[in-house]
Amino acid sequence: MQILRETKLEGLKLARKIGRERVLEVLSEKRLIGRGGAGFSVAKKWEIALGVKAKERYVICNADEGEPGTFKDKFILKNNSETMIEGLLIAAYVLGAKRCFIYLRGEYDYLRGELEEKVREVLKESKMKVSIEIVRGAGAYICGEETAILQSMMGNRGNAMYKPPRPTVSGLWGKPTVLNNVETLTCVPQALVYEDWNPDYRLFSISGDVSHPGVYEWELGIKMSTILEVVKPKEKLKAMSFGCFGGIMPVKKNLSISQDTLCKNDCQHGAFSIIFIGERHNVVDICLSIAKFYTYESCGKCTPCREGTIRLVNLLKKIKNRDADEGDVKLLKEFAEHIQETSLCGLGQSCGNHILTSLKHFRKDYREYIK
Amino acid sequence: MRISVDGKRLEVDGEKTILEICKGLGIKIPTLCYHKSLFPEARCRLCLVDLDGKLVTACSTKAGEGSEIITDSKRVLKARRRNMELMNPGANISELSDDFEAREIYEQVGLDNERFKPIKNYLPELGAALVRDNNKCINCGRCVQVCEKIQAISAVDFASRAHNEHVTPYNEKHLSEIACIKCGQCLINCPVGAISERSHLKEVIKALENPKKHVVAQTAPSIRAALGELFDMEAGTLVTGKMVTALRKCGFDKVFDVDLGADITIMEESAELLKRIKKGGPFPMITTCCPSWILMMEHFYPELIPNMSTCKSPHEMLGMLIKTYYAEKAKVNPKDIVVVSIMPCVAKKFESTRPELNTEVDYVLTTRELGRLIKQKKIDFVNLEEQDFDPTLGIASGAGDIFGNAGGVMEAALRTGYEVATGKRLKSVEFGSLRNFEGIKTGSIKLGDKTIRYACANGGANIRKLLKDKDKYHFMEMMVCPGGCVGGGGQPIYFDEDVLKLRSKALYEQDSKKELRRSHENPIVKEIYKKYLGKPLSRKAERLLHTRYRKRDGF
Repeated sequence: MQILRETKLEGLKLARKIGRERVLEVLSEKRLIGRGGAGFSVAKKWEIALGVKAKERYVICNADEGEPGTFKDKFILKNNSETMIEGLLIAAYVLGAKRCFIYLRGEYDYLRGELEEKVREVLKESKMKVSIEIVRGAGAYICGEETAILQSMMGNRGNAMYKPPRPTVSGLWGKPTVLNNVETLTCVPQALVYEDWNPDYRLFSISGDVSHPGVYEWELGIKMSTILEVVKPKEKLKAMSFGCFGGIMPVKKNLSISQDTLCKNDCQHGAFSIIFIGERHNVVDICLSIAKFYTYESCGKCTPCREGTIRLVNLLKKIKNRDADEGDVKLLKEFAEHIQETSLCGLGQSCGNHILTSLKHFRKDYREYIK
Repeated sequence: MRISVDGKRLEVDGEKTILEICKGLGIKIPTLCYHKSLFPEARCRLCLVDLDGKLVTACSTKAGEGSEIITDSKRVLKARRRNMELMNPGANISELSDDFEAREIYEQVGLDNERFKPIKNYLPELGAALVRDNNKCINCGRCVQVCEKIQAISAVDFASRAHNEHVTPYNEKHLSEIACIKCGQCLINCPVGAISERSHLKEVIKALENPKKHVVAQTAPSIRAALGELFDMEAGTLVTGKMVTALRKCGFDKVFDVDLGADITIMEESAELLKRIKKGGPFPMITTCCPSWILMMEHFYPELIPNMSTCKSPHEMLGMLIKTYYAEKAKVNPKDIVVVSIMPCVAKKFESTRPELNTEVDYVLTTRELGRLIKQKKIDFVNLEEQDFDPTLGIASGAGDIFGNAGGVMEAALRTGYEVATGKRLKSVEFGSLRNFEGIKTGSIKLGDKTIRYACANGGANIRKLLKDKDKYHFMEMMVCPGGCVGGGGQPIYFDEDVLKLRSKALYEQDSKKELRRSHENPIVKEIYKKYLGKPLSRKAERLLHTRYRKRDGF
């Protein structure tokens, strides 16, 4: 796997040799984009933060991987954290940051001891005068969102804040702050060091009704049939869900996984986590458990998300209990759309995706439950 | 910057938010969580507008060059209505009090209340001063922000997530168990009335209906400048005479003026100041008219207890005199007297439960409660004739009148303190530096060969700021509510700070129209001291008019 290639601080050495402008050029030549889901160019993000006049800048590694069905960052933290830390140091070098942070998901606290050990080792070896602090998240899903991370780190409630200003302009304690996730930072030294580094490789987290769940590395545009050959479905597959927020769509053998093809089906790949769902399930049940996840994880700030998510759950429960009629399904759709349209952050804006896509692709499952 | 709003092209200031732009154009956009002096958190999401095809919140968004804004399309109106529906399932507009902002906004947005049922199920919280009902709360967060940013107390914050998110005091405790100063600014800023005062109205009505009881009302300086607003009179209209008539019509046997209590407070306080000047401290001496400030001091600055003046607040002083001096004079059994203070303040309700005060005030009504009482009695307030206070305890100097303004206590104290200490007469009794609308006001005055430096602060955050260099001053006045008592937590709810300025102006006008502007020249004050108390700080005065304080927990 490309992501497991070690760079042994070669990347940092090279970066120091060629200087920060050249590093940015190389990263943009190599087409390194963020792996968090938004797909923003890494070089550009760093450039924006560099362009802001400030005494201090911060770099944060977003290791708050909370999306259901996603576990690729854990895989990297376990197997190649040195390279990730090196990526953090390169970012700190380019941005002139003196303090870096790793915002570690609360549930990954068991990785912390090992990670601290690695941080000490790498820092000692690199001889850079930079501090890397590990901040433990408290378990909120929303704290994977960049503004919520900052709020959480500053000791406030983990609420998403209005953008602009973006964190790159005014982030932690009002200073320009770069947030990259684990996979992105791991790619930074690899992209610098290896000539044959391929920007299109992505880590996939596969789970659900398959015999071989786990983390895989495939190139963008891979055919679904290839994936299925490797992961071996346990039974006939009906649907796949891209994490929680990416939407649910039927499993099509000739589908190739990329931004455009998924968009055609109203889905988003996000962090490339695919949960396969077998024939024996009704999609409404899956939607209900996803909706429950959102009612638990909404931060409660915006009215539509706070009050709306619980209404979606109640409607889905009503449908599941075979109490509902077509009117309720219409209401479900109306409010799923409404929440997405009027909420502030990514959570609210995507918390109806599973309902809208399942209504589009699996109307039959709903009909089964309706009187 | 050029943009278009509802199809009209215009040139606007790029630094303004869409809401401000629309306000300037006279376009009404409904808002609940927005407040002029607070940070726009965009929680309620009622101010949605269409910005280049995307729905955004007008309160927090700035328009870009050439952008197109639509404020009244079907899509926008529908989205607003849906958010209203989610916020308030099962709400009944007709049940809502007129006092609150929400009423008008509900009517503007329209409320479709059939599709969802309410899910909130909280226990309302009953305190000595405030009642909080989270079931009515719409999580706009204004109380949280006011408490943190303007009052610098942070007594309440949000807890829990999603639909369980709710406003709660520290550690889900009761407001009475934590460091809450009961100023009621949260109440003033609540658009839906989820926070309200602990009403004493029922008890007062019961007392009024009891023929055996001799019910006495005493009205605070600042309510006469605000009461009219409850009857749709213009802000800043003085309604002193109408108020007295209305109180008599409500059945109060006597109506007395707390301004007189203020005059007595000044006598005691200035005597205390002069005594401290002679003794050399402790300085600064700090006023104690504001019960919220006393609570704030006890919770957060207990080391200031020796600095505090020991004077009770004016209405407590007058309440005491009603049950002693007046009872003797009028030959009424003190046990039959019921003293009802009408105050601009919810903390006064708490104050009257303090054991240290040996209080003789039985009930405290806020300005709003008095308005409710008058409405209940179906009195046509606007067209009432004007009557005077009962003269026994009803003549006050202009110095007492301005107690309702931030800086007023200081000004009144300086008038008396200067003239008593120096024996000279002030050329002008108006202290311009104390009359602006700043949060912190300072100045100095020469008393003989000694310069006395004084400072006033209003608003909790300003108090904290001023206390950082407290050692510079000899005399300080602290008022917790912005603008002083005119902006108190018991006053009619206002949406615009200009209202406070008008109220404040009205009080100064009342002062300037009076011949009698110095507390120590008030004939009733003279009489009370001659016949009853002796002189300021006499043993009897100490016993009746002074109090003590205690340390409280900082959390």
